Amino acid sequence: MSGTLDGLQVGDSAEIIDISSDCNRAGRMATLGFIPGRRVTVTRLAPLGDPISVDIDGQEISLRRAEARLIQVKQA
Amino acid sequence: MATLDSKKSSLSNNTSPLVALVGNPNTGKSTLFNRLTGLRQHIANYPGVTVEKKSGLLRIGNQDLNLLDLPGCYNLTAVSRDERVVMDVLGGRHGLRRPDLLVFVVDASNLKRNLLLASQCAELGIPAIMALNQCDAAKRNGIQIDTALLSKQFGIPVVETVATRGRGVDDLKSAISNALSNPAFLPRIQWPECIAKGCQVLQTGVKDLGGDGVTQAEALRVLFDSDSVFTCGISDKICLKKMVDAAHQDIRGLGLSPGSAEAVLHYRHLESLLDGVVTTTGPIARSHESIDAILLHRVWGTLIFFVVMYVVFQSLYSWAGPLMDLIDTVTGMAQGFISPLLENMPVLQSLICGGIISGVGGVLIFLPQILILFFFISLLEDTGYMARAAFLVDKLFSWCGLNGRSFVPLLSSYACAIPGVMAARTLSDPKARLTTILMAPFMSCSARLPVYILLIGTFIEPRYGAFAAGWALFAMHFIGLALALPLAWLLNTFFLKIKPQPFILEMPDYRVPTLRNIFHRMWERGREFVLRAGTVILAFSIIIWCLLYFPRNPSVAEKVRADFAAPSASAISIDALEHRIESAYIEQSYLGRFGKAVQPVFEPAGFDWKITVGVLSSFPAREVIIATMGIIYNLGADVDEGSEDLRTILQNEKWTSGPRMGQPVYTLPVVIGIMVFFALCMQCGATVAIIARELDWRWATFSFFGMTTLAWISAVVIYQIGKLF
Repeated sequence: MSGTLDGLQVGDSAEIIDISSDCNRAGRMATLGFIPGRRVTVTRLAPLGDPISVDIDGQEISLRRAEARLIQVKQA
Repeated sequence: MATLDSKKSSLSNNTSPLVALVGNPNTGKSTLFNRLTGLRQHIANYPGVTVEKKSGLLRIGNQDLNLLDLPGCYNLTAVSRDERVVMDVLGGRHGLRRPDLLVFVVDASNLKRNLLLASQCAELGIPAIMALNQCDAAKRNGIQIDTALLSKQFGIPVVETVATRGRGVDDLKSAISNALSNPAFLPRIQWPECIAKGCQVLQTGVKDLGGDGVTQAEALRVLFDSDSVFTCGISDKICLKKMVDAAHQDIRGLGLSPGSAEAVLHYRHLESLLDGVVTTTGPIARSHESIDAILLHRVWGTLIFFVVMYVVFQSLYSWAGPLMDLIDTVTGMAQGFISPLLENMPVLQSLICGGIISGVGGVLIFLPQILILFFFISLLEDTGYMARAAFLVDKLFSWCGLNGRSFVPLLSSYACAIPGVMAARTLSDPKARLTTILMAPFMSCSARLPVYILLIGTFIEPRYGAFAAGWALFAMHFIGLALALPLAWLLNTFFLKIKPQPFILEMPDYRVPTLRNIFHRMWERGREFVLRAGTVILAFSIIIWCLLYFPRNPSVAEKVRADFAAPSASAISIDALEHRIESAYIEQSYLGRFGKAVQPVFEPAGFDWKITVGVLSSFPAREVIIATMGIIYNLGADVDEGSEDLRTILQNEKWTSGPRMGQPVYTLPVVIGIMVFFALCMQCGATVAIIARELDWRWATFSFFGMTTLAWISAVVIYQIGKLF
């Protein structure tokens, strides 16, 4: 099942397929570890529901929903 | 300030080698920098941008080196001018000196991601060594690193360090010294042919178009950062874009997307190099998970956040109080001591006491709040809580272009905008930082309180009761914030051309902060404030003193004395006579004349010349209004906001000429207008100075005129609407 990172629930885990964004944002996200093929797990939401916090390659990263929406993922 | 710069730069010899610390944020890079240089540091800005340039002197044996602490970054992306600084330094562009050695500071817990920057920098061909920092935390988390293998694979010396405890610092020093005589280089990535070709095409293409020569590393920036600031000195952007687009097409042919291709390829390169270097014993133990379960909890986390912020604010507001009173007392004592010595030289007496001493006092008065705030900021940053706090409240600010990290600067601006503006350094996104700085002076600082108390206590409480007074006071504190956030949105949506960065935060591990680091940061900020902003504030203070003092024509005093010596005049005490003379002098001063001249500007807001002079004299510091009003209303400068005499005078003040002759000056619309004017106006020379210091003079001027215009418009609108009822 494919969708975007923003659509995952807390505890869900998925594989990153691609980042659909302009080069700059995609480049920044890729640098921090959001690269195709890696697994990402949603660990928690902020009290107001945005941003979200994810685990990627053993590090915890928080990002806004607006950015999470650009990351295409595939749930096993 | 120029003299200060030149004095400082002579401290570090230009012919001695330049060593630069390079690394991700949160790696302990600055701590290591402090360990290496001690207090022999110099902070300035890179020319043309608002990025801080920290340099210092590193002495190894009898060799002096210049050490540069480059801004922490995850990659070399150069989309904004601020980000470009790192590339400019590493490429030796714009008159910046190219480092002779790079020291990569990497966090041992997250080796791969930290080394991505190093892998990018390998293109530059600068000798390098590696400081493997926070080894202790990595070991605790079950991460073992084979340092010898790491060094062999990357071809450069690797030194294990724990910067917070100073461990490995001596080893690092000798490694730096050795590397300068025996340079070693990082292995370059083998680019797929199409990327290497794309770079070559760009390099020759740029030359053909008459641009500057670009290195391969710079060509890669043009290739991978769309809207790169590297225009290579050529005006034909379309041609440049064509070359980039062609290269992107080739990248897609490799099955990669142009945005992430660079990171993907570097990670592949690093994965092959790091094979066997890192071993994890069991699953990585993440110490922060159980703490986060509470600190980031929807209910408890939010509650703890507000308690923490309350403590920060209360300390800022109440701990600083006694220290500020002490500075006030000492200033007063100094004036009291010097004043009689200069009895025979009234101009010098007034200049030294009224201009210089109170100016120095006016600079030092901000220090307690700055030091206390930076104590807390360092504590929150070093423990790792600041990133969590930003995560919790980001949503409150994201809609208007600010972010979660804006909370602390804006909150502390409620005590004073000076530390608030300085605290905006914790924002890494240049656009959000700029907006936060511009919004900080809108928060109702403690210097506005006396004006509110005087006017609410004089006009609102007696007429409408304590309940209305309470609400009025709350409203005055709220109005700045209520206007600032929509303004931030407007500014970000329509005016600022800078691209916002995605708000992606790394949640660092929780760490035990060290006092050494915290005090270093307090010292650094305090010193910088006094030396940089302080000089400007002092200059403002002296200029305003001149405008209020000159021209001091003795005939003014004689006339007042003569009026009261006349047989028809009522008897008056000597003190009262002195107050009248002082008042007459102010009316005759340049500022007084200016106030009278510009009174028509404030006429639509219902201000008379006295209010206008009061408002004008409060531009250097708004709290001055009470003393100025005391002088103007013949009570002397010693009145405070609780003075019954001042209140009675204000209530009975009537227009003495014009169409409203005989009517009270302070009607409700005028009173509300004055308060709103004070709430929105940039009446603080120190804030202007600190904005100029943190951003530049253009933004300081923009902020000053923008806020002043807004304040004037609001006061006029309130008065004009109020008149209708």
